[in-house]
Amino acid sequence: MKLYEYVIRRLILLVFVLFAVSLLVFYFTRGFPRGMAPWTPYIHPKMTAEQIEQVIKEHGFDRPLYEQYFYWLRDILRGDWGRTGAWAQGLPANEVFFNHFPYTVELSVFATIITVGIGIPMGIISALKNNKLPDHACRIIALAGYSTPAYWFGFMLQLIFFYYFSVWGLPHLPSSQASTLGKPSITGIPIIDGLLTGNFAYAWDEFIHLILPSFSLAFISLGFLARIVRASMLEVLRQDYIVMARSKGLKERVVIYRHALKNALIPAVTLTGIFFAYLLGGAMITEYVFSWPGVGQQALRAIFQGDSNFILLYSLVFATIIVISNLVVDVLYAFLDPRIRY
Amino acid sequence: MSKQEPEVRKGEWEARLADIKYSLYLLRKNPLVITGTIIALFFIILALLANIIVDPKLAYPEGYPGNMYPFERKFMWNANHPIQWGPGISLYTGPEFFPLGTDSYGRDLLKMIILAIPVDLYFAAIITIIAAVFGTLLGAIAGYIGGIVDEIVLRITDVFFAFPGLVLALVFASIFGRTLETLALAIILVWWPPYTRLMRGQVLSEKEKPYVEALKALGASPLRILFGHILPNSIFPILVQATMDFGGVILTFSALMFLGFSPSPAMPELGNLAADGYGHVFDAPWVMLFPGLTILIISLAFNLVGDGLRDVLDPRLRR
Amino acid sequence: MKKQNRTQPILEVRNLKLNFHTYRGEVKALNGVDLKLYPEEALALVGESGCGKSVTALAITGLLPENAYIVDGEIIFKGENLLKKSKEEMREFRMSECAIVFQDPATYLNPVLRMGIQLKEAVLLHKDALKQMVIAEKRGEKIGYQEFLAMKTSQNQISTKGYRVSRKKINEMAEKLIMDILKLVKLPDPERILKSYPHELSGGMKQRAMIAMALARRPSIFLADEITTALDVTIQAQILYLLKELRQKIATSILLITHDLSVAAEIADRIAVMYGGNVVEVSSTRAIFKKPLHPYTQLLLKAIPNILNPTERLESIPGTVPEMINPPSGCRFHPRCLYAMDICTKNRPNLKEVEKEHEVACFLY
Repeated sequence: MKLYEYVIRRLILLVFVLFAVSLLVFYFTRGFPRGMAPWTPYIHPKMTAEQIEQVIKEHGFDRPLYEQYFYWLRDILRGDWGRTGAWAQGLPANEVFFNHFPYTVELSVFATIITVGIGIPMGIISALKNNKLPDHACRIIALAGYSTPAYWFGFMLQLIFFYYFSVWGLPHLPSSQASTLGKPSITGIPIIDGLLTGNFAYAWDEFIHLILPSFSLAFISLGFLARIVRASMLEVLRQDYIVMARSKGLKERVVIYRHALKNALIPAVTLTGIFFAYLLGGAMITEYVFSWPGVGQQALRAIFQGDSNFILLYSLVFATIIVISNLVVDVLYAFLDPRIRY
Repeated sequence: MSKQEPEVRKGEWEARLADIKYSLYLLRKNPLVITGTIIALFFIILALLANIIVDPKLAYPEGYPGNMYPFERKFMWNANHPIQWGPGISLYTGPEFFPLGTDSYGRDLLKMIILAIPVDLYFAAIITIIAAVFGTLLGAIAGYIGGIVDEIVLRITDVFFAFPGLVLALVFASIFGRTLETLALAIILVWWPPYTRLMRGQVLSEKEKPYVEALKALGASPLRILFGHILPNSIFPILVQATMDFGGVILTFSALMFLGFSPSPAMPELGNLAADGYGHVFDAPWVMLFPGLTILIISLAFNLVGDGLRDVLDPRLRR
Repeated sequence: MKKQNRTQPILEVRNLKLNFHTYRGEVKALNGVDLKLYPEEALALVGESGCGKSVTALAITGLLPENAYIVDGEIIFKGENLLKKSKEEMREFRMSECAIVFQDPATYLNPVLRMGIQLKEAVLLHKDALKQMVIAEKRGEKIGYQEFLAMKTSQNQISTKGYRVSRKKINEMAEKLIMDILKLVKLPDPERILKSYPHELSGGMKQRAMIAMALARRPSIFLADEITTALDVTIQAQILYLLKELRQKIATSILLITHDLSVAAEIADRIAVMYGGNVVEVSSTRAIFKKPLHPYTQLLLKAIPNILNPTERLESIPGTVPEMINPPSGCRFHPRCLYAMDICTKNRPNLKEVEKEHEVACFLY
């Protein structure tokens, strides 16, 4: 089927998925007021019972669910995602989301760079020295990576690189939070803004702060990437055209770099794309551990506060990112593998 | 039902047995898998014996019922600090040696970890098995019947894949109460889609194979073909996935407990114990270090086994 | 047919014994293979599937898989034992002395690289020769594949001392050479071929391209491993015809591996028949067809349907191909041989010259 037909089909699917996701989330976050009170963002502890009742009526939380859904739908189509934040501090939900999103982007980009930078070579080495010592070593590191609890690893990193380092008098990496050095704002992404405005001290400070959380995230996923690269590489190395390349008298290094890698890395590229998209959704636990002001942290807060508006916004954005990234990756696959293109 | 179909099945099982023997041979050659298996077995046995080795009542000192919330902490920061390491004074039983230190309730951490292991393993097993069984069945049916059923199932899995799983699990837990069972249910809800996709793919490729046509010609009913033949032939990748998922489920389960969704903060469960150390990471790191390390080792063991299995079962890597 | 140079063989395989290590046991694939390939001749290695023909080719080129190991024997090329050479030396061997073309061009070409790259890389290995060609071109001499071939002998070489040739020029020269070779193998529209991916070419075209890749290395030995098996009959004929033409133009020895005696008859000067890991009969094509000595060869010839007598019953050879983990003792053909004697189960017969330039390995002689 033609490319644009395929894309259109997937976009229609996206709309369907978004509907389904919104319905599900709506049902759970607003349908059980005893468990999660959707009016929490609009009240504060000093309110009396009648005032709370007032707020409920005002925002329509006492209406039947399907009515509520309809009103919510109407509101978001007008761009009003409701308010978020406890105790009636109420900032518009989409503002909060987009204020925090750049931090998540930063984290995702760095983590992906580290993952790819370490994971792919690890996988290649593993494949080339299959079943020998480097393979076993890489395998343990890879598997340790995705057996590690994210929250635990984050804290252990902080323990070592922040606390103990400073105790031992070594230069240390900050434990948490993005840089607090004042924030110029062009793209909203702190490091890039720092570089663009020439405020290198700021950019550097942000970078320092990024190291630990990115590494924490990356460690967990680089193992997975390495395994995939290894499997893919092993399969490619068994192919006939590799024998052919060797039979031409090409140096082994050329055989591997020119012939094997190009084939083997195709699945790795697609996997990286998906992984990056997943990270963009906000790695909640890591952001929590490092007090990183990203979207994941906000989502966590929203859940604890019963803030249905933000949760809905977050879920829909997440779903969109996932579906679109899957689509992009599939199309990319077609470009990378000439057999599919034609 | 024809008389030949049981013959076919017998033949299939013989072939599978030979396959299994070959797989075991390959596995034995892999030192990492063997290490993983030993460690995993060690923990399973430990889990089974945990409540015998360590007195469960130690988890709830002073006779506090386990599920009462809030838990009153009588022992605040004073000279008799509850968090200790090594030789120290137990708040409950006098002088004692704490090989892994104490947690913030003054309980022996080693004993708490031992008590926590069966909880994690048990729930991880239940979650994995239910999610795998449900997902596999759904995928098998969708793949075999095809048509509109397949479409619907595919769309449903698409939706669940696009879902922020952790969010859903947390929301679920918020609504339905913080019990272990709700948490387990929430995780199952999020964990089944990969099995469906996997099984569906397997069934789709098996369906085209000649032996299925032959079975149909013999007069076997679709149910028999699906569950008697296709399912056993496709089960290996599912097993591998389940073994590896086991580690992942333990991580997720304990992560959710860490975030605060446990029925009681004193309950011995690895994530919960780690959460206990949250405020004291720098001055009493062992409170978080050891429970997390335990999770890492258990998860690593199962992942080693699963990874080794996957290597072995990969048809292209076999000699 | 060219007259062979009956002096020294350019390649000689002596008593090659080779096993594969597998889970189910040791596969004794080669049981003492003896083979002599003379300069500028075409030798066909004929036998059923599984008799070890391809394995022999892989052993010669040093491309055996990891689980293969040599038990005994030598492969002598220009006076040296190839089996004792290092990996790097074998690589150079493959680069400039020995080229092999494989059976299924679809799987032996890299699907993500353009044909141009895959073709050029074969030539670009010979940087020095290319440099000389560029210098020759500057001097106004004619350049083309024949000249490239001629440069192989040291008298024709040009000194490259003191000349600096840019990489770009070398690339261009390589491309010109490749286009020349593509014309030689009768591939139409060479420019388009260079830009194409393998899956865009037909089977016959791919096979010609593989032959081109082999020619680009100016090999003294050209191994063709079942190169026509994957093609349909008309294309088969074209490729065979091409090979015959090339033989006129290029002075290489060809070792043609095939299971099809008629293919062998088309091109080969001599035929060597293999069975169960041994060479059982070697002679000129004429002699093999006119007077086959080994019982296996006789049965093979009988099995070819006779176009002149279509109602004749098709003969087949009784029994099945031996299983190589536990092969028959002594002469591996004895379970299927009509003339099997007691000694055939105990000892393995060696190749003996029974008539002029006709060797057989059989206790009947």
